[in-house]
Amino acid sequence: MIFVINTLEVKSIPAIILMIMSLNYTIDSLRISIKNMHFYYVIFFALAIIFNSSYAQEAICLPAKDDTRVVIAGGSITEIFYLLGIEDRIVALDITSNYPEEAKKFPSVGYVRMLSAEGLLSMNPTIILGENDMGPPTVIKQVRETGVELRIIPEKKSVQGIIEKIRCVAETMGVSSLAEELINHEFIDKYTQIKQNQDKILKKKVSAMVIYSMQGTSPIVCGTGESGDAFLELIGAENAFSAFEGWKPASAESILANDPDYIIITSRLLKRFSSIEELKNHPSLSQTTAAQNDNIIAKDGMAMMGFGPRTIDCALEVSKIISSE
Amino acid sequence: MIGSLLFLLTISFISGLTLGSYSVPILDIISGKLEPLQKTVLTQIRAPRVILAGFVGASLALSGASLQGLFRNPLADPGLIGVSAGAALGATSIIVLSNHFVPEFLAGPFLLPIAAIAGSMLVIMLLFTLTKGFKSKGTTYMLLIGIAINSISGVCIGFLTYISSDAELRSLTFWTMGSFGGVSWPLLVPAIILISLFLIWAIPSSRNLDLLQLGEIEAQRLGVNLKKLRFNIILSSAAIVGISVSLSGMIGFVGLVVPHLARLIGGVNHTYLLISSAIAGSSLMIVADLIARTFVQPAELPVGLITSAIGSPFFLYLIIRSKKL
Repeated sequence: MIFVINTLEVKSIPAIILMIMSLNYTIDSLRISIKNMHFYYVIFFALAIIFNSSYAQEAICLPAKDDTRVVIAGGSITEIFYLLGIEDRIVALDITSNYPEEAKKFPSVGYVRMLSAEGLLSMNPTIILGENDMGPPTVIKQVRETGVELRIIPEKKSVQGIIEKIRCVAETMGVSSLAEELINHEFIDKYTQIKQNQDKILKKKVSAMVIYSMQGTSPIVCGTGESGDAFLELIGAENAFSAFEGWKPASAESILANDPDYIIITSRLLKRFSSIEELKNHPSLSQTTAAQNDNIIAKDGMAMMGFGPRTIDCALEVSKIISSE
Repeated sequence: MIGSLLFLLTISFISGLTLGSYSVPILDIISGKLEPLQKTVLTQIRAPRVILAGFVGASLALSGASLQGLFRNPLADPGLIGVSAGAALGATSIIVLSNHFVPEFLAGPFLLPIAAIAGSMLVIMLLFTLTKGFKSKGTTYMLLIGIAINSISGVCIGFLTYISSDAELRSLTFWTMGSFGGVSWPLLVPAIILISLFLIWAIPSSRNLDLLQLGEIEAQRLGVNLKKLRFNIILSSAAIVGISVSLSGMIGFVGLVVPHLARLIGGVNHTYLLISSAIAGSSLMIVADLIARTFVQPAELPVGLITSAIGSPFFLYLIIRSKKL
């Protein structure tokens, strides 16, 4: 029983009570009377705990036992490999690893959230590195059970987080000194610049929206809790659509009601229009402050929201544009 | 006929076990000269997968055949009585809501299958209550209730899709296309036992299904207990489909078309039909899964795509050739 209480978190208690109530209700509605109900509740709890397969967090950033053959699932980690110049250790990548161009020559293990255990193992990797959305969990468990090293690199969506990610990957691959040099020479400088721009933008109280796609219906806009929102936070702009969570379609009216000062789009979206002029005249956007002041910025989606090294450059460019106006 | 189908099943089972992106040569299996990792891949990753594919194929095809017989409607399939939709609703709720509402210690590989089974049970209970234990009115009434339940589940799934985050949406999409990846023995063994029991329960109804083809009134005159028949078939179909869908996701085509394939090949006697559908469905699914995991190796295709892609043209060919319909 003590064990049970230990594993329970305070916030999960309402959920458990709800589950027991619904269980009770189901049993009542089936008009079955069960003797020793409490006994079954205890079993229910015990099962719940047994089934709780603990995905024990391994030592994440410690040097790998053998770092000669690496499979990567996650575009930002691939970018870091190229940045550190250790791409010769890569044997396969996932399909989100599309930068730089030459990364496309590697065999693909599929989409980062839909990996296959056998596919990963068939590349004979000595270590598999993945981003925090790597999955599905059952496949990760299977791979770990075979004894092949698999690390999930932690992610924090900030400049600091990106630098930590670079450090972590470098340490795993045993090239820490190289990474520190890069960070001290390049990133610390960029970081301070972004910080300065960010302060300016914060003072100006700029609002912005991130549009992902405009296929057919209303534009798909970033609310809170997603990478687009994190990018806006990085540059110090306020998300005009903080009223909802996730990527959602937004109507022309609500776009006008939230009237962003800046519109940030992916370059892939811009390609669908013949010019930025045509995009500006799109009925959903034409009346906004952003469109009327020509404040539409297009950037590569993965550079902007992948939170790899390129995101730092991208944030610097965008924050420079917004803070200087 | 059944003999040659069994032969087909054996061949597909063996090729399913020996082929895959990770090389496990058949001679090495026979001579027992496998390396430890090859052995793990074979016994822990590939074998459970092939067996699950076989059982799911058999379940979907058999329940399709018996439901078509029961409703005397060639378009009936496991989806029709709303069971798949119920399972999908259960699974979707877990994919979308588990991050927010399920306590950490309950999260594990069993949670999604259990929720899917609960979802399909809920639908069956609803169907059971609304038709007063499958007794009231005619078959059409039940079909219509199934359709209504289907669209109610559709609404709930749609709502969950709307509130899902980017990551959850991706998992949802892949789940609806089906996959046998990531299955492990602890998940598989209870499923196999339950599916086998229900398969054995369903097959003796075949004689009564034959009589039912004369019409409900005639069948009753010939001594068929219609209420009992409905109860047996609907409950067993619901159980095997619920369990299958819970482990593999939505896989289309097999339940609807494999019974027709079996009928075109060997006639309409239900004893033959149920058994041959199960065997044919099983081998089709194993082959489809084999293609799914080797075609774009080391990545993987959703198996639902493959079943339709290889099944539909073959089905079309049989229809055009037979000219019986």
